[in-house]
Amino acid sequence: MSDHVDGPRSIGDPSIDMTDLFAFTSPENPGRTVLIADVFPSAGVSAMFSNVVNHAIVVRRIEVAGLGEAAKFKPGDQEYRFNCKFSALERGADGSKPTQRGTCTLPGGQELSFVVGDEKGASTPDGTFRIFAGLRSDPFYLAWLVAILKKFPNLLQNDNVLSIVIEFDTQKVLDPAKGSLFGVIAETSAIPQPRGLIGHEPPRFDWVGRPEQTNMRLNNPAMEHADDVRDLWNQMTPFALAEEFRPLFQKRLIDSLTNWDMRDGKADWTAADLNAAVNVYLDDFILFDVSKPITDTSYFEIEKATLHGKPYQTGGGRTVNANVIDIMLTWMVNNDREFLQGGATQATKPGTNTFPYLASPNTQIQTAVESVDLAASPDKVWALIGDFGGAWQPLIANITTVGTGVGQIRTVETIDGKRIVERLDAMDSSQRSYSYSMLSGIQATDYVGTLNVSPKGSGSAVEWKVQYWADGQPDIIVKTVVTTLLKTSLESLTKRFGAAK
Amino acid sequence: MIDSSVLEMSLPLATAGEIAVMNLESSRQQSWSRLLQSPERPGVAEYIVEQEQMALQFLSDAAALDRLDALVEHLARSDADAVRVTLIRAQVLSTEHHFSPARALLQKTESWGAHSEAADRLLLSIDQACGNNLDFVMEARGRLAAKSGRLEDLVPLGSLLADLREFDEADRVYQQAFTNYQDVSPFALAWVCFQLGALWGELVAEPQPHRAAKWYEQAIAYVPDYVKARVHLSEIYLEDERFDDAEALLLPALSSGDPEVDWRLADVMIAQGKTLEGGAYLETAARGFEALLAKHLLAFADHGAEFYAGSGDNPDRALELASVNLANRSTLRAFEQTYDVAIDAGQSEAASDILAAARLRWGATHAFSLSPLAEMQF
Repeated sequence: MSDHVDGPRSIGDPSIDMTDLFAFTSPENPGRTVLIADVFPSAGVSAMFSNVVNHAIVVRRIEVAGLGEAAKFKPGDQEYRFNCKFSALERGADGSKPTQRGTCTLPGGQELSFVVGDEKGASTPDGTFRIFAGLRSDPFYLAWLVAILKKFPNLLQNDNVLSIVIEFDTQKVLDPAKGSLFGVIAETSAIPQPRGLIGHEPPRFDWVGRPEQTNMRLNNPAMEHADDVRDLWNQMTPFALAEEFRPLFQKRLIDSLTNWDMRDGKADWTAADLNAAVNVYLDDFILFDVSKPITDTSYFEIEKATLHGKPYQTGGGRTVNANVIDIMLTWMVNNDREFLQGGATQATKPGTNTFPYLASPNTQIQTAVESVDLAASPDKVWALIGDFGGAWQPLIANITTVGTGVGQIRTVETIDGKRIVERLDAMDSSQRSYSYSMLSGIQATDYVGTLNVSPKGSGSAVEWKVQYWADGQPDIIVKTVVTTLLKTSLESLTKRFGAAK
Repeated sequence: MIDSSVLEMSLPLATAGEIAVMNLESSRQQSWSRLLQSPERPGVAEYIVEQEQMALQFLSDAAALDRLDALVEHLARSDADAVRVTLIRAQVLSTEHHFSPARALLQKTESWGAHSEAADRLLLSIDQACGNNLDFVMEARGRLAAKSGRLEDLVPLGSLLADLREFDEADRVYQQAFTNYQDVSPFALAWVCFQLGALWGELVAEPQPHRAAKWYEQAIAYVPDYVKARVHLSEIYLEDERFDDAEALLLPALSSGDPEVDWRLADVMIAQGKTLEGGAYLETAARGFEALLAKHLLAFADHGAEFYAGSGDNPDRALELASVNLANRSTLRAFEQTYDVAIDAGQSEAASDILAAARLRWGATHAFSLSPLAEMQF
């Protein structure tokens, strides 16, 4: 993943794990720049930010200091730092969902407060800056098993992340007249505290520049026995890699890129070109030029053109919908000879053209499982409940069926007046099992149920499992409806057949 | 040794426990969702095991064991790699204290030529939990801790030292775990605090309850939902006759379903003369223990024995459960518990046999010389 879970240490608090960084021109307003940093890989639907960590996005002006084999991007000294902190949770008096607030210290020291999850975000009074922070659908997609370079469905399908979106007036904030090329990184670091005798804070927990610097280049999954240097890399200072560590990382990147080059069995890189690319990678930040167009395909064009000894044509950057993995793999594996398309062409939900530019979070698949152990034999129980159109459930007032066998439709009328329509998808009488899907009547999608009777001791066990996505109703309401239906039905079997001793 | 009051002034900052628990729970559910959608996704099942173990350890969510069983069944039906599934099964069995089958599975993966660091670490945990090969375990734990310096390697080393009655050294290692900690997860820090509470409150020959209380309080400050820390701290409050404080500590933990909470609430009620309420809580506790024991006997046998040897007031059941635990893992602590409950149950012959077995198993060790069993006569 782009920088998801990029070190053993980050397994501690997942909410401080930086996953991705984006830099692009606002689709809503070409005069504004958008920077997005994501944390917390595979965040759950109620995820919140850590309240003891600085979340920073840092921009520096960059100078092209060399071309071709001497390609070099030199950062300036001036930093544009956006530093966000988050509060502990605030509970509503009525037990409502807790609230988290955040404050971002902007370049120049001005502070902007916001509420986590507020899609409108917050703006400074003059409108120069606008900020959103909260849970969003993860815009990143990785559709390869990278260790063996095999296409695969998106490994981050339906995942969410916690995002910090910062949008600002490009002219007012970055003053491009002084140079329009910039580099950006994002980092999580400790809030300083008096520690007395106890240890010392790390300068930072995690940071991210270009996608996959850690998980695919420094820690190439195909180099099984190489030491894991990701934690050490995460301790490096962005924009200023320590000279003493440069040879170590340089060697690792040369080994790694050589390995990537040979993944298709062909050597597409000369040693000199590969060394030049490694030197560019060692200065790890996303390059973006605010005077040129940043598109879904312009990621890394600035670096490539410069390595080829030519002026770059685009604004580079990284948009929300950029297919960075395939762009990167194509370059590393075959030096752009042939585009490598992974097993997905977009994230779960593509980015949007309006603030905050990231799609709403994905809901979770829900599972309701109920089971009961009965004194009767499996065949006896199956004889009653194995009929898809059978009326044995106490909450059902009436049931009608259309057709027979797989494809049969049953319309269930519950005693409280609901009508639920379901279709038989599979029937295996030898295994005493059938599965069905719900067509209408419960506010859920992809609702699939499985009923199974198996031998257990001298009696039998019945398991009824339903999986679905809540759709339009809070998950808890749907879950209550489904669980009640299952539980009540199975309890009725205990009364009828007796519980297993 | 560094004075504990100095330590408590300067413990590391951590993410608020409320946020961390919310993130753990929603992330755990998200992991299940990911697994059900794409069972082939690498690493998800392993992550679920870690998350369910945390839910069990900190939130006393015993249903985590049922979910882990469901995970194993789910993987068995999938096309997942056999080595990977076997390793996960071994992890789950070990979590449920089915140590022998877990060990057998690890040997099986080894015989397939699938040696892994994860398997080695699990084997170490199993040996440590069973009190086997402790010289080797100590050497390996020391080596791992020296190499990584990480909290997750230091705490098991401290725990082993405490098992071997090297209390000052265990304390030093736990303090080093704080010093070396480079993260903000409150779970890890609460875990160390809990270990220190148990060390000074229960394991040392002359317990220092107030020193232990400070550590339990700190554990709860890190993770307010840490049920076991609340239970242990409530025992100290109860001893001090701080009934309101003990009750206030336990009531929010009732929803966890952990029968130890009901048990300690019963003790608090009875100590105040509220025998009716106390009796009701005791009945709930007994039902809770029996429900857990019916499903996961080995995982809860020692806890059940402790309950029935105490307020549960059923010495025979206590001896039965302690014996189950002892047969499963013949640690010195298991011998001590079983001996004590045998005496309480009036089973002097059984106690004598247990003592003899303890001498045979542990008599030559330094730890045994510090054990109350060393003073006992046949």
